[in-house]
Amino acid sequence: MTTKRNKQTTLFIGPQHPGITGNMMVKLLVEGDTVVKAETHIGYLHRAFEKLIEQRNWLQSFTLLCRFCVPEPDPMELTYARAVEAIEGREVPPRAKYIRTIVAELARIQSFLLWYGGQAGSAGLYTLGQWTVGDRNYILDLFEDLTGARIYHMYIWPGGVRRDLPKGWADKTRRVLDYLEKRLDDYNRLLFDNAVFQKRAQGVGIIPKDKALEWGVTGPPLKGVGIGNDVRKTEPYCAYGELDFDIPVYEGGDVWARALVRRDEIKQSIRIIRQALDKMPGGNYYNRIPNPMKWRLPAGEAWVKTESVRGEIGFYVVSDGTEKPRRVHLRGAAYTHGISVLEKILPGQNIADVSFILNSLGACPPEMER
Amino acid sequence: MMTTRDIIDALTRTFDLNADVLRDNQIRLKLHKKQVAPVLLYLKNQLGFIHLDHVSCVDWLEENVFELVYIVYRPQDRLTVLVKTKIDRQHPEMENMETFWPHMRTYQRELREMFGIDFPGFEAPKEFILEGWDEMPPMRRDFDTRAYVQRTYTTRPGREDAWSVREYITRRTGEKLPDFVKKYSRD
Repeated sequence: MTTKRNKQTTLFIGPQHPGITGNMMVKLLVEGDTVVKAETHIGYLHRAFEKLIEQRNWLQSFTLLCRFCVPEPDPMELTYARAVEAIEGREVPPRAKYIRTIVAELARIQSFLLWYGGQAGSAGLYTLGQWTVGDRNYILDLFEDLTGARIYHMYIWPGGVRRDLPKGWADKTRRVLDYLEKRLDDYNRLLFDNAVFQKRAQGVGIIPKDKALEWGVTGPPLKGVGIGNDVRKTEPYCAYGELDFDIPVYEGGDVWARALVRRDEIKQSIRIIRQALDKMPGGNYYNRIPNPMKWRLPAGEAWVKTESVRGEIGFYVVSDGTEKPRRVHLRGAAYTHGISVLEKILPGQNIADVSFILNSLGACPPEMER
Repeated sequence: MMTTRDIIDALTRTFDLNADVLRDNQIRLKLHKKQVAPVLLYLKNQLGFIHLDHVSCVDWLEENVFELVYIVYRPQDRLTVLVKTKIDRQHPEMENMETFWPHMRTYQRELREMFGIDFPGFEAPKEFILEGWDEMPPMRRDFDTRAYVQRTYTTRPGREDAWSVREYITRRTGEKLPDFVKKYSRD
């Protein structure tokens, strides 16, 4: 006689698995094809960034900060820079605020394009990822023109941004946005009109609306349960308070709703960048800091949040009055989504949907273990 | 709608505590460690701070204390409260609050592993990020990263001197380095 216990099998997905978004592992207890229990295991790429930052000066930290999240490094720079500015009381020129907004939104779009590939790929639809990753390169070209780097920019610094917009960059950006806007229809026909994706995404990986805030859910997964919290609206930073945009909200809390949110977010990002380019103020782009090797911040602390594509990210930064941070601690959206939320919503799901659900939550392992 | 003043008034009516406004919509509370759990529960259940944003720890080695920081958020009026407390660094122990929010378990696992803080009754698996770690908890200020690396890892053959590539080539060819390079070199 087979006991219930004997029917259960332990299955490891990751750390090296095409369906896992980076180096992490989900240990599953399964019964047949159904997940009974899930545990997230991390620790495969801990690089002690937060520890190393304590041994560097305030500006040197930027070379490590951007590596907290590979698919979307810019919010890390932006949030940390804002925390440093809050502790010091340093003003940011209006032009820099607009440039930061454009950079943050371009970062969102390119990250959403990567997500299209991951989400479609985990449903077995590989063509879309090739299109979107190819088109993402046009945005990386813009970043290269602006910052000198394609992925890790180290462009947003305390006091503003490192350099002004190059000549002709705004026009090139507009042309890229026009191109991407047309391509969105193609992407969406391929993904959202696809019966496979519809059947796989609807009713799967549901986050209950009444638990979402208590579980620490933010970003597209929160908007996908019908709660439109977005730091850009609730606590506007950079130039967001002067720009007109909407927060897409869908009901259902499933993978489908989260996908619809992300689809609409790209359109809003394009809308924001166009407005920011049109309203770009003149003047200085950088409120210069003193010699960075001797730059001391006053003793103090700051808690600053920014909206990333995965959800809220926050930095808790403490200065003890020296030229190095006492503590820099990241709160990434993936820290809750990829661990406690994932472990709560996976039981009852099919094994084949695990990667699919993971992608929809925007779990980013480097953000979990800094 | 509640304001920072309303929150501080409600808290000071119920608890004997020290509160100030950090900036904008952020309130900072400095508490004795025994007050933290009841204040967090009050904030969550009575004042609507339903969202646990963050839990952090700062090592104040010179004062021989760890400072724990719990950050909670009230979405309706965008109010944030930073609940801070200091605990003894030699015997770091804090109340187990894993039932308050699901992700508190994750934060406590990290604090236990990275700072060595004990949460009595907390039965989550010991290993979280580190594996087979038998050294001092690595996020403590007195953990020497460089010394750990030097005794744990070996140098790649040919790089024992740890010169930068530029220095190595210049020394080999006899080319003179500009002053600004020497200033920041490791030798």
